[in-house]
Amino acid sequence: MAPHPDPYDLLKSIIHLSTSSLSTEAKLDRMLQSISDALGSDRCLLLKPGRIAENGFLSRLASEKRPLWIGEGSSFGKGEVLPEEEDLLCPTFACVPLYDEATLLGILYIAFLENRKFSPQETDLILLIAKEMEAAIRNAMAYYETSEIAREHEKKVKQFSTLWELNKALLTTVNFERIVQMTLTAITIGDGLGFNRAMLFMVNEKRRILEGMMAVGPDSAEDAGRIWSALSQRRENLSDLITQLQTTPESDSVLNSIVRGLQISLEHEQCILCRTVLEGRPFNIRLPHSDEAWLQNRCERGCSLGSEVGCYVGQHLGRDPRVYSFATVPLWGKGKVIGVILVDNLYNQNPITEEDLHFLSMFTNQAGLAIENAILYRNLEEVHRELREAQALLVHQEKMVALGELSTNIAHEIKNPLVAIGGFARRLNRTITDESHEKKYTETIIKEVARLERILDDIETYTHDDSLTFEEWDLRHIVEECLAMLSEEVHAGGIQLVKEFAEELPKVKGDYHQLKHAFSNVISNAYQAMNGKGRLSIRIHPVSKDGSSFVRVEVEDTGKGIDPENLHNIFNPFYSTKDARLGLGLPIVHKIIISHRGQIEVDNHPGEGVNFIISLPAN
Amino acid sequence: MKRIMVVDDEENIRFLYREELEEEGFVVELAENGQEALEKLPLFRPDLITLDIKMPGMDGIETLKRIRETERNLPIVICSAYGEYKQDLATWASDAYVVKCADLTELKTTIRRLLRLL
Repeated sequence: MAPHPDPYDLLKSIIHLSTSSLSTEAKLDRMLQSISDALGSDRCLLLKPGRIAENGFLSRLASEKRPLWIGEGSSFGKGEVLPEEEDLLCPTFACVPLYDEATLLGILYIAFLENRKFSPQETDLILLIAKEMEAAIRNAMAYYETSEIAREHEKKVKQFSTLWELNKALLTTVNFERIVQMTLTAITIGDGLGFNRAMLFMVNEKRRILEGMMAVGPDSAEDAGRIWSALSQRRENLSDLITQLQTTPESDSVLNSIVRGLQISLEHEQCILCRTVLEGRPFNIRLPHSDEAWLQNRCERGCSLGSEVGCYVGQHLGRDPRVYSFATVPLWGKGKVIGVILVDNLYNQNPITEEDLHFLSMFTNQAGLAIENAILYRNLEEVHRELREAQALLVHQEKMVALGELSTNIAHEIKNPLVAIGGFARRLNRTITDESHEKKYTETIIKEVARLERILDDIETYTHDDSLTFEEWDLRHIVEECLAMLSEEVHAGGIQLVKEFAEELPKVKGDYHQLKHAFSNVISNAYQAMNGKGRLSIRIHPVSKDGSSFVRVEVEDTGKGIDPENLHNIFNPFYSTKDARLGLGLPIVHKIIISHRGQIEVDNHPGEGVNFIISLPAN
Repeated sequence: MKRIMVVDDEENIRFLYREELEEEGFVVELAENGQEALEKLPLFRPDLITLDIKMPGMDGIETLKRIRETERNLPIVICSAYGEYKQDLATWASDAYVVKCADLTELKTTIRRLLRLL
């Protein structure tokens, strides 16, 4: 031992170390070394609070906040020494607790193997040095706290700027699909929230279900690596990146198609997705990483992850048993939960921290409003479109009324002369022998007048709202009467008539004349379409649809079908085309069937024929 | 021989009906409006009347009412260019409603049915 340590040299070296730029650990080590060198001690340690066992002599010293000096002439009761403290018991040693107000910073321990006594100068010096060490440790702690706060602030600033960038991206559109796409992209992109996969489920309040809307995320770890490295090459800012990425969606990913097919009843109260909606709070779920746990207790959807944590649809989403943690956050609209976002880190297996979740919630609160706005905008567009259609319909109907009045007036004027022409032509025709050349002339006049009369009838039927007499009718009977009326065409030969009428058939309620008019138009159309050869099939049978029963009449020809260009216009009155069939006949059929609360469908096969399928509600 | 009065403002129609009905063996008298029909009614004493609706002067509806004041059982067939009054007249006192057509088969059948000639 150096019997006369120079206190000034030691103090100078301690103060020099204390203000140096060394790390705290290095500072303390060097200080202990200096003390040991100056005092010639055998051991010199700083016992950290973690190393001080409870109920030992060190902890008593700490609580009493007083130093302990042991050496020649001083006694030390070994009763309170714990086994792990025994190696500290040297013949001569000192223990000085270091404090920062009430907080124990550690105990300075200086020991000598020889039996001696601490001189008053030594104790004063040691206490002084201890004070200096206290200050050094306090400074180090303050520095650590300050830098922590700075780091925290930096992180917050980055988060806020990320949020700002993401929100800026969301403001670029009101299109629902694009907003959803951008939201999920923002959640999964590395510079955004950085989750591996994100899925959106929207609440359908009417049906009380959650509907899978969209998922963004790679289908496999290889995909993930490829996408991440491609993204890291790009240098755009975040909002530009997101707005551009939505043009290359992974809408065809397996994950997306799985999520789109999902419908989860909100009655499943144990399901985490449902709970997120019902309780309106986020969930951060860590699953035990054991294979057996997955195999037990599947829920009714077959999801094997649901046993303890609720029904996570992981089985349907991943089929990858590595899924071990995921989180859900509610998507808030104005005052209510409109959906759920589910995120996980399937590929890089990063844990999801509470902070991640907090940041995600902050973002989804913004995204929720954007999504709700997009939905409102979509509804507005829908209503606007309906209004425009209604207006167009009104204008159309007004035109139709005017056109109807005009046609009726013209038709009235034409009818009487036509009856006279046709009537006298018939008289003339009877006086001409069959062999006569002129017979053909009169027959042509008769045929053409009959055609004109039919057109006038059509105009009248279409434009005049007959008050209808609804009675019960057997459609088989009505169709037979139509066939009898069209007997000339039916018996012309060349066209085979196939009738398939059900034996048991409910009656339908309707106006006899109108129904007959409708069916004879359809049948007559079919005959004309076949141009003298082919097969006409008429099927009548009962069907039930959506719990109601109907009588269905199918009239199928083997003509050339309807030109697809004209198809959407065949029920449009006064739509003229070269196809003679498309006059007023089908619009009338349509009008009559609709006014009977029935339906008419056209199964068109250009080049092969048409099947008109008429369904009328059974009585 | 059954007697039929044809009331119609169109000359060609009257002409056609007369030719056709006489050929069927009926005695035919013509009137070109309601007034003329009412005047000829007590003199001709028809077994059946065919009556147009739209006529200048007294129209068919008024004529029908007036005839019914005296002739409750006389068969009257409405012969109109259009079917638009069909519903109304069915509840009135006409016996049949035939829409005018170059083919007179329906009219003739109706007349024979009402005269019990079928």
